[in-house]
Formats: sequence, structure tokens, C-alpha cells
Amino acid sequence: MPTDRDLILQTRRGDADSRAAFGELVTRYQTSVFNVCYRILHERGEAEDLAQETFIRAYDRIHTFDIEREFGPWIRRVAANLCLNAIEASKDTAELDDERDADSAQLPEAVYEVHERSETIRSALASLPAHYRVVVELRHFQELSYEEIAAELKIPLSDVKSHLFRARKILAEKLHASH
Amino acid sequence: MHLTDEQLNEYLDNETNERVQIETHLSSCGECAARLSMLQALFTELDSLPEVALTKSLAAPFLTTRSLPAPLPKFLTLTVILQAAFALTAIIIAVPFVANLLPAIEISSLMEGITQLQAQWINLLDKLSTFNLQPSNLPTFNLQPATFQLPPLEISSLLMALAGVSVLWILGNGVFLRNQR
Repeated sequence: MPTDRDLILQTRRGDADSRAAFGELVTRYQTSVFNVCYRILHERGEAEDLAQETFIRAYDRIHTFDIEREFGPWIRRVAANLCLNAIEASKDTAELDDERDADSAQLPEAVYEVHERSETIRSALASLPAHYRVVVELRHFQELSYEEIAAELKIPLSDVKSHLFRARKILAEKLHASH
Repeated sequence: MHLTDEQLNEYLDNETNERVQIETHLSSCGECAARLSMLQALFTELDSLPEVALTKSLAAPFLTTRSLPAPLPKFLTLTVILQAAFALTAIIIAVPFVANLLPAIEISSLMEGITQLQAQWINLLDKLSTFNLQPSNLPTFNLQPATFQLPPLEISSLLMALAGVSVLWILGNGVFLRNQR
């Protein structure tokens, strides 16, 4: 089985198999990239579109990717940044609609409870300001340090801390209230 | 004195150098321990968030092979190869002639030919302008055959021309057919 590095090098060759090689990379990371977008955007269709856009951009700029880095964390950070840009572009600071699966009522009780709790967490995340959401995403789900987040978002370290701590305070209050 | 929110957050994020002091305080302060516990519960909740499955493959646009145009017919490919080989041979043969005889080619003979051709053309236009449509005049119209003679051809000139045309032909094929494969 080819490694990520093999697939990236094959993609860079630009021959007949390069698209297929990148397609294999997409297959490996599409779920995690989609989930980054979904956690930030909380809207399935938009999240899928942004995830697709993430891979298209990555394909177009594959020659600039540092082969010594890991592809997975990199592509997830690209996705988070794209989502932030998309939110800022749309100026959509309003609370996003609560998206629920149509058949959630038919799930077994235990599964239903987990599903409901997940939706509550997602809704709480979606209610945060865009910058807070992205900082939470990078810290909790992509496990970046404060300094790495500051570098990624090109914001001061103090802003990273204040965004993260305030976001956690809001989330804790919302989730505590929903218990 | 209680711990600040910043201290608790940094402690859980492993981003503090005051771990020992914070732990010492937590061991003796129920209120700060409770606040830490609440924050930790939030971390656990976020960690428990399951991944959502995709409803479509994002790899599809990259895995679909673009339909390529049909390859060139074999005879055309063969023709191009033969042309290339012929042009190369012609160039190889022509090179020594060009090197030795190019300075000897008299451009003046060519210029003379062009001048004669131009004179004939003017002469013809002149006759046409003075042509009388009366029937009696018709038989008298007699266009003299051109006295123009081609400049003398040499084998080197011929080979050079052949090589030039072949090269142009190959280049033309390359330009027109470059998007065909």
C-alpha cells in the first residue's frame, strides 16, 4: 500500500495516474476533512462543498506542499482556514439552523440520546463566533498548541488564548444548561 | 486567592510552567478543583463528539478519467515519422552544400528574374488598357510569350529548399496536432 508521501510524489509527476493518486489521498482523508468543516459550519451541504474545495485547492497547490510534513494535519488545517474564510466572506454570524437527521426519532433510545447530545454540542459550537469556532477546532480536534494556532491563523498568541478561553466558557454554560 | 480561568485552561492544555504550584493549590481548594472538573467535563464532551459519515465521495472528481481523444491513425503517425526522417536526411545532405556553396549563390540572378517578371506584368497591363473591342482588332491582339527565364537551378538550392519545406511541414504538423493526444 503506497504511503501518503508516495501518493503526493506521484501526484506531482503530473502523468496519467497523478489524479488517481490524489484521489486515493482524498479517499483516505475525506471523512476527517469533512468533519472539520461540519464542526465549524454545522451544515452538511456547505461542509461537503468546503471539504471538496479544500481538496481541489490542495491538488492545485500540491507542488508547494512540504513533503516532510504530514498530509493529514496539513489538509485539516487548510480546511479549517477555508471554513473561516467562507464564514467571514458570507458575514454569517447568525446562529446556524439546527440540522437534524430526519430519521433520528427512529433510533434506539441509547443511540438516540448520544445522537441528541452530539447535536447539542454541535449546536453549541455553531453558536460561537467564527474565530472562536476555528480556535476550538484547531485546539481540541487538531491538537495544535497555542503557538501553532497563532501561526496558522496569523493572530497574536494573546488572541488565541482569549478566543479559546471565552469559547470554552460559553460552551460550558450552554452545555451545562442543556443537561 | 483562587486560580484564574487562564491558569486552569493552560493547565489542562499543558501550556503552563506552573503545574506544581497549580496542583498544590488544587489539592487544597475545593472551589478551584470543582471549576477544573467542569472544564475537564467540557473537554470530555468535545472529545466524545463522533465523526459524521459523508453521504458522497469527495474523491470522485479525481478518480474519473478524462476521456482522451482517439489516437492518431497509424498511417498518419507513420507519415509524420517518414517526413521527419526524410527531412533529417535532406538536411544532412544539404549541410555541406550550404556550407560551401551558399556564398557562391548569385542573388543578382534572382533579382533580374523578378525585374523581368515585373516588366512583363506592366507590359501586359499596358496592352490590356489599350485593347480595342472592335472585332477587326481582335485577331491582331497577340500576347507575346514571356521571355522570362527561371534562374539556373543547382542541386544544392533544390536540396536546401526541400529541407526547408520539410522542416516547415514538420513544424506545422506539430502546431496543428499538438492538442490531438
